[in-house]
Amino acid sequence: MKPENILEIKDLKVKFPVTGGLFLKKIAEVKAVDGVNLELKKGETLGLVGESGCGKSTIGKAVINILKFSSPDVDITGQVNMRTDDGEVDILSLSNNEMRKYRGLIQMIFQDPYSSLNARLSVGQIIEEPLLYHTKMNKSERMERVAWLLEKVGLQAEQSKRYPHEFSGGQRQRIGIARALATNPKIIIADEPVSALDVSIQAQVINLMQELQSEFDLSLLFVAHDLSVVEHISSRIAVMYLGNIVEIGPGYDIYHNPIHPYSRALLSAVPLPNPKRKDKERVILKGDVPTPMNKPSGCGFRTRCPIAKKECADFVPPLELKKTDHFAACPYVQ
Amino acid sequence: MAENNSVKKVSTSLLQKRWRKFKTLKRGYYSFLAILILYIISFIFPLFVGRNALLVKYNGDYYFPLFKTYMSTDLGQTKDAYGEANYRILNQEYKEADKGNWVFLPVYPFGPNENLLNELEGNPPHPPSAEHFAGTDDRGRDVFARLLYGFNIGISFALVVTLLSYIIGVAIGSSLGFYGGKLDIFGLRLIEIWSTLPFLYVIIIISSILQPNFLLLTFILTLFGWIGITYYMRGEFYREKARDYVSAAVSMGAENKTIIFKHILPNSLTPIISYAPFAIVANIFSLVSLDFLGFGLPPPTPSWGQLMQQGLSNIEHWWLIATPLISLFLTLLCITFIGEAIREAFDPKVYSRLR
Repeated sequence: MKPENILEIKDLKVKFPVTGGLFLKKIAEVKAVDGVNLELKKGETLGLVGESGCGKSTIGKAVINILKFSSPDVDITGQVNMRTDDGEVDILSLSNNEMRKYRGLIQMIFQDPYSSLNARLSVGQIIEEPLLYHTKMNKSERMERVAWLLEKVGLQAEQSKRYPHEFSGGQRQRIGIARALATNPKIIIADEPVSALDVSIQAQVINLMQELQSEFDLSLLFVAHDLSVVEHISSRIAVMYLGNIVEIGPGYDIYHNPIHPYSRALLSAVPLPNPKRKDKERVILKGDVPTPMNKPSGCGFRTRCPIAKKECADFVPPLELKKTDHFAACPYVQ
Repeated sequence: MAENNSVKKVSTSLLQKRWRKFKTLKRGYYSFLAILILYIISFIFPLFVGRNALLVKYNGDYYFPLFKTYMSTDLGQTKDAYGEANYRILNQEYKEADKGNWVFLPVYPFGPNENLLNELEGNPPHPPSAEHFAGTDDRGRDVFARLLYGFNIGISFALVVTLLSYIIGVAIGSSLGFYGGKLDIFGLRLIEIWSTLPFLYVIIIISSILQPNFLLLTFILTLFGWIGITYYMRGEFYREKARDYVSAAVSMGAENKTIIFKHILPNSLTPIISYAPFAIVANIFSLVSLDFLGFGLPPPTPSWGQLMQQGLSNIEHWWLIATPLISLFLTLLCITFIGEAIREAFDPKVYSRLR
């Protein structure tokens, strides 16, 4: 593991079996993530973008090791190495019980602020929960910490007695953030944390996350499908398509000079709030995303790629260094 | 008058909100109060309805027949002076003798299992009168007293059976839904096999071998009553398990038992609570049917089903069939109203046609 990294994902593959027939035999599998290598550096924000179903949320859930809980049949291979006080730990090799003691180091912010908070618990009880499992604080220390966290995320300490249904979506997401921060984690996986919010609220929550990131010295894996949000917060961006990373590089670079044909198409789809600006050429892709149950051979993008050649069907293009720190998985672009 | 701006907004949990909604649904709420109060009072029925006097003063001494049994000779009863003292006769005799002795009787001085043939003229069943509100049954027992005591037994029985079958059903359903996989597949098949056992035949067979009593009947009905709620709980657990707050709990490091009891179960209360009144209705009805068929509680336990059965064999004596039927109808109607109101209070949609 490189010294600057805090998390390394090596050749991660996640397959969900598709069962059918009378005896629920496995008849196919969905390759949600198909061999992904990623490095999360200490203190950086890595944006992970791609359209729906490309496997970006699955990576987040695999990294935090909760896939096996909700779908026990899932087939996960590869490594997710995390730097802990006990040295490097491969998260994927841990059972849920073994994983428990490292859970305080890596936390998740969920996409849907409505379903990610237990409606039966008060806000105080929700935020104090990780403290129960990872600290030896007593009740008053926990309440103090909860009050402090609530103020950190822009809510009031008195609101800890309230219940989630008394808050708006943005406030609920702040509660989710406070919960994720409770144990002072090193890594936070943010799974589309703002996609369920209004645009005006999105900006507030994003700015809050940036402030908190520097204050808590967090490494952030930011999963999103909205490129403008990702560009705003990320130091590096990885673009995913059909379970593979097709391009990864510095945020500004990717946003302004994308290399991979898919990234170009994705970026040209970002709506710009400027009606006069007409200089931008729209790259419009033909067809639909192939199903991850039956991926095209070779390069997954070749069925829709404007510059596809015959050879694209023969091999999976590896990520190649194109510029400083900027990799793209296509041999025909520069 | 000073204005108080610092009024704190009181926070309400979801259950509190639903309880408030329930209270606004008058029909269900008043039915709930009526059944609840009547049931609580039914535990102290001997104070109002019963053969035993509350207090007797005899030759300067005080006696408490509610707590101790006295023979008729102990208290100086002369008419029909055999066996236990008859406090109504005693009351009359003391008044006639006028020696400063007195008997303090309950408001309705007839017990449920007491044979009144000695005190009433003619053959039983006796029609309703000012003294016996609902007449007597074919053994000369007061029907009104039997109805009231039968209410307590019926509701208690239904509550116990519902509670026990809930414990079993919720435990099994939750495990199937939470652990899923092979446990779920095989567990469900076993439940399906179990649910095909013909309930009535099993009862009849067991009743013909053993004398049924409260405990045995509770046990048998529980054995067959847990299946319904199991399916509900399994479904709830399946659904709730996939929700994000459960994933959040896992990612925070919660153990399975915390996830089940702190997170999923409290969020699966809706079917448990809204199904309960109907389960109670079903269990009251089961007991009445079993008593009617003669496989229920042993005589002389006061029971509505047994009264109905008498009514059927003495169809010309209308009160024997009308009074238990009306009582049963009103009780079940009230509980159904409660169930409807609960269902509506738990309905996330604001929709109040049932009001």
